[in-house]
Parts: sequence; C-alpha cells; structure tokens
Amino acid sequence: MRVLVVEDEPKMAGLIRRGLAEEGYSADVAATGDDAIWMAQATAYDAIVLDVLLPGRNGFEVCRELRRAGMWSPVLMLTARDSVDDRVAGLDAGADDYLTKPFSFAELLARLRALARRPPLARPTVLEVGDLRLDPAAHQAWRGDSALSLSTKEFRMLEVFMRRPGEVLSRLYLLEHCWDYGYENRSNVVDVYVRYLREKIDRPFGRDSIETVRGAGYRLRDG
Amino acid sequence: MSRLPIRVRLTLAFALAMAAVLAATGAFLYLRLQSSLDEAVHETLAARLVDATALARSGATGRTVSDESLTEIRTATAPPARTELERVPGMDGRVRLAYSVVDTPRGKRLVIVGAALGDRDEALTGLLRQLLIAVPVALIIASLLGYWLAGAALRPVEAMRAEAAAISGSEPGRRLPRGEADDEISRLATTLNEMLARLERAIERERSFVADASHELRTPLALLRAELELALRKPRTAPELEAAIRSATAETDRLVRLAEDLLVLAQADEGRLPLRREPVRAADVLGAVREAFRSRADAAGRSIETDVADAIVLAADRLRLQQALGNLVDNALRYGEGAIRLDASARDGLVEFHVRDEGPGLPPEFLPHAFERFTRAEAARTGGGTGLGLALAAAIAEAHGGTAEASSEHGGDVWLSLPQAVS
Repeated sequence: MRVLVVEDEPKMAGLIRRGLAEEGYSADVAATGDDAIWMAQATAYDAIVLDVLLPGRNGFEVCRELRRAGMWSPVLMLTARDSVDDRVAGLDAGADDYLTKPFSFAELLARLRALARRPPLARPTVLEVGDLRLDPAAHQAWRGDSALSLSTKEFRMLEVFMRRPGEVLSRLYLLEHCWDYGYENRSNVVDVYVRYLREKIDRPFGRDSIETVRGAGYRLRDG
Repeated sequence: MSRLPIRVRLTLAFALAMAAVLAATGAFLYLRLQSSLDEAVHETLAARLVDATALARSGATGRTVSDESLTEIRTATAPPARTELERVPGMDGRVRLAYSVVDTPRGKRLVIVGAALGDRDEALTGLLRQLLIAVPVALIIASLLGYWLAGAALRPVEAMRAEAAAISGSEPGRRLPRGEADDEISRLATTLNEMLARLERAIERERSFVADASHELRTPLALLRAELELALRKPRTAPELEAAIRSATAETDRLVRLAEDLLVLAQADEGRLPLRREPVRAADVLGAVREAFRSRADAAGRSIETDVADAIVLAADRLRLQQALGNLVDNALRYGEGAIRLDASARDGLVEFHVRDEGPGLPPEFLPHAFERFTRAEAARTGGGTGLGLALAAAIAEAHGGTAEASSEHGGDVWLSLPQAVS
C-alpha cells in the first residue's frame, strides 16, 4: 500500500511516515496543498492522509480539488480541528474518514486498511446526471441553472434515481430505499411520488427524464 | 405606580388628563350658562323697574303677581331685607328682586320688581345633569381608546422582544428587522443590532480562541503520543529510545510553555496579571535577557548586542519585562537573521525597548495581526513556537500601561513602550 501524507509539521510527517514504513507501507510526504495535488495526480495512491491546516490551500480545499479533478483515492483527514463543524466540512468536501489528533497509531493503521478495501470508484459529493445536479449535503438540486424546490422525500427519491442513472428501478427497490417498514400505506406511494417528482423536475422544463418501464418500474434517462 | 404595566400606566395618565380637561370644560360651560342667564334676569328686572317707576309716578300703588313676574309699589320706603326670596306665593320657584325709591308728587314710593328664577335654575340643573352623565361616558370611551392606542404603540416593541428572544447563540448572525421610519422603535432596533454585532464578534473571538488553543494543545500532544506509541510498537535499541525520549521531552517543554503562556494571557485578560513593580535599571534587564539567550545565539552563530544608557530606571516588574523581551529575542532568533540589537531609550516619560535584527522583519500583511493570539506568519507555522510570544509581550506591556509595536522598515524591529513611572 502506498500512502500520501500531507502534513506541514515536519516532525509529525516524519513520525507518520516512520510508523507506516514499519508496517511495510511506503509513504510520501507533501508539506503543502499544492504539492499534494500534483503528487496525487502523478501517482495513484491507495490512501491520502490529509491535514487541514496547511500553508496556502487548506485540507478541505485540497480534498475538493482532488475530487473535482477526478481522483478518487480514499482520503483520511487527520487534524487537530475536532469541532463537529470541521468534521462535517471535511466529510462533505469528499473525505472518506476523519481522525482527530492526538490519535493512536493502531487506529490510524486500521482506518487506512479499511479505506484501502474500498474500490477506487467515483464517489462524487455532488451527483450529476445530464443537466440534473444534486448536492446531498447542501440539500439542493438543480436542473441546468435553475434550483429545484423539492420536499425531503422527493429529494431523497431523486437522489436514489441519480445514484443509478439509466437503470430500471423497480417499485419495490424505490420503496425499500425511500421508505422504512414503519410506513403503512405501501400500495401506490411510489407512483404518487414519481408523479410529484415529474411535476417538479420534468414538466416545467418540457422534459421527460423519468420514464415508465411497463411492468418493471422507472428509469432516469442517462443524459 | 411603577409596578403597573406601562400600558396601564399610560392609560391611567391619559384618563387623568382627559378627566381634568372634561371637568374644566364642564365647569366652564356651567358658569357661562349661569352668567348669561343671570344677565338676562338682570336685564328683565331693569326694564321692569323702569316700567314700575313710571307707574309709581302716575300715583299707582299695589301689588301684581304672575307666574313669572312681580311688581309692587309701596308707600313705605324701607327697602326689603333680601333681594332673593326662596318662595313667593303664586310665583314659579325662587324670585330675584330689584327695587328703587322714587320721588313722586305724592311723596316717596318704594318700587319693587321681581323675576322668577325657576326657568334659570331648571336650565342649570339640566345642564349639570347632562354633564354628569356625558363626562364619565366620554372619559370611559377615551380611556378605552387610550388603552388601545398604548397597545398599538407598544406592539412593535413586543414584536421586537419576540424577535430578540428567538435569537440564540446558534445563529449569532441574525438581526432584528428595522422599521422604515426613523423613530424610537427603529433606533432601538439599531442599538440592539449593534449590541448583537458586538456580541457576535465577542463570540467569534472566543470561539476562534478556543479552537486555536485546542489546536495548539493537540499538536504537541499528538506528537508526544505518536512518538511514544511508535517507540513501544517494537523492541527498540537504546539510541532509538533515547531519540524518542528526547523528542517527547521537547514536546513536553512546548506544552509547558504553552500552558504558562495561556495562564499569563488569561490573567492579563481579567486585568489581574500580578505585577511586582519596583525600580528597575533598563541596562540590568537587557543584560539579563542577553545572558539568557547567549548560548542559543552562539550555537546559531549570531550575536546579541545591547545599547542602553546606565541612568535609565523605570518602575516595572523585572521578571515579566524580561519574559516579554525574551519572547521578542526568541522570535528574532527563530525567524530573524544576523545580529540582534537590544536597546532602551527614555523619552517623554516613556522607555522604549527595541529588539532589532538584520532580517526582513515581519511580512507587511502580517503586521496588523502580529500581536493577536495564535497568529503566525506563514513562514513561522512550522517553527515549533506557540503563536503566543508576541501576544504575551503585548499583554505584559499593556499590564504596565504601555504598548507593543512592530515595524519591518529597517529590518526586523519590535518594541515595547512602557511608562517610566507608575501612573
């Protein structure tokens, strides 16, 4: 496993590198956000350990920039900033995990192993299908440039569609992903909500992106 | 009175004023009517007296009485005892009299005329009765109106109170809506909003201080823990262990320094930084600082020079002053270049202590924030300092009633100005 350590405190960077090396991992150190971005572009790292307070660009910006550039190496934020706001900002910026200093080496290594098990698939923080965009963290969705005003349920349903674009999703699949067992009236609620969703994302724009597949379910047109 | 709600107080004041106005108006109406009625009676009597006098001259005597009037001509000349009679048989109500003594060819005659006051009294009583009904009714209506008006005037205040109550610490950026008109309410909103802005800034400072302090504490703790944990993961050789312990000791020192600095700053914030002021020779202070840093400067191949007149003495806490200057020298050693010059000069009751070096000094964009806590120039972020050195020097200078300033015009230059005597 090859790890990129982005840390501006030389002593800390050296310690992490030594600890990783003793486990048989190879580690490179970047002291600034800009270094980190070009090093990540040059090498497909299995994991990136990213500090938040960096000279120049901070860790959140580095993480967003990596994701924007289509680099999906798992990112673990390792920082002394431990407020809930910081952790939320880090994870929403596209980080996969968050560990606060002071940390235990055993835990850092375990988390890195867990991250390395994830396939390097695209895990965008903002979903895009055609000209539909949806930001699950900010709870906002757009068709082109116009913001869509969706209820919570409609929003989550659109998210389910956008995570499987072009695939036929059965009513049962939609029901299981948008409603829990506590919901009693399961007869036609999916059809009702698909209708609501079409009213908001298709009709005003003269589009037909959610199509009915007879006998199977619904499909969000891919592009 | 002051315990009553303001709305009730306003209404009461309004009702009292209204009662006074209504009572005065009523009294005025009553007296006006009374005097005009009296005047009419007076004129009637005068006219009748003229008629009766003519009658008396013609030699008539006797008495005529009707509902409204009375005429009497007597031969006796003693005037009547009273000019108002409660009752005269055959007349309506009270009677007012007028008389005169008339010379006639047949001797003196006493002429008496009278007018009934029944109508006048009735008119006055009627007016009084109407006023007694109308004034209280008007007062009640006016009070209700006053109560409603006071409520309407206070409603924006209540609305603002509800708004203000809804503002919590979790959304410190929220402000009260300000009305269009420039009146008391909108001024109140402006004032409250300014207060909210000050509170927000204070909360923001507090929050960022706590975040910075926790970051500064966590960094050496993280290093300490990583160092020790790493050392324990495998059997190590003696030199490896020694290196780990040395590194841990350095981090412990950093933590100790940070804790002490934070303590001093916290005390300075509360204005109770204990100062033991005594007459101190500036030359002694600079000499002590130079000695304290001599070995570090030698190791770095740099020199520390002092330049101070022997005679400068000021009232200061020797140890705190040395600590403040020590922080400046520490910064100059860490981030500056070349020889370090310490000098002190007295001017206008102030003693200025300068710490200069031959490096570029603090970056210009950093100068305005140099004395804030946990602020560091970019280059100093990895230097192992606490980010509190300059803030601490400034706090000590301020506790002495002085100031701390920095300039980068001719190399690095940071100085403290302290009053020479205790103010």
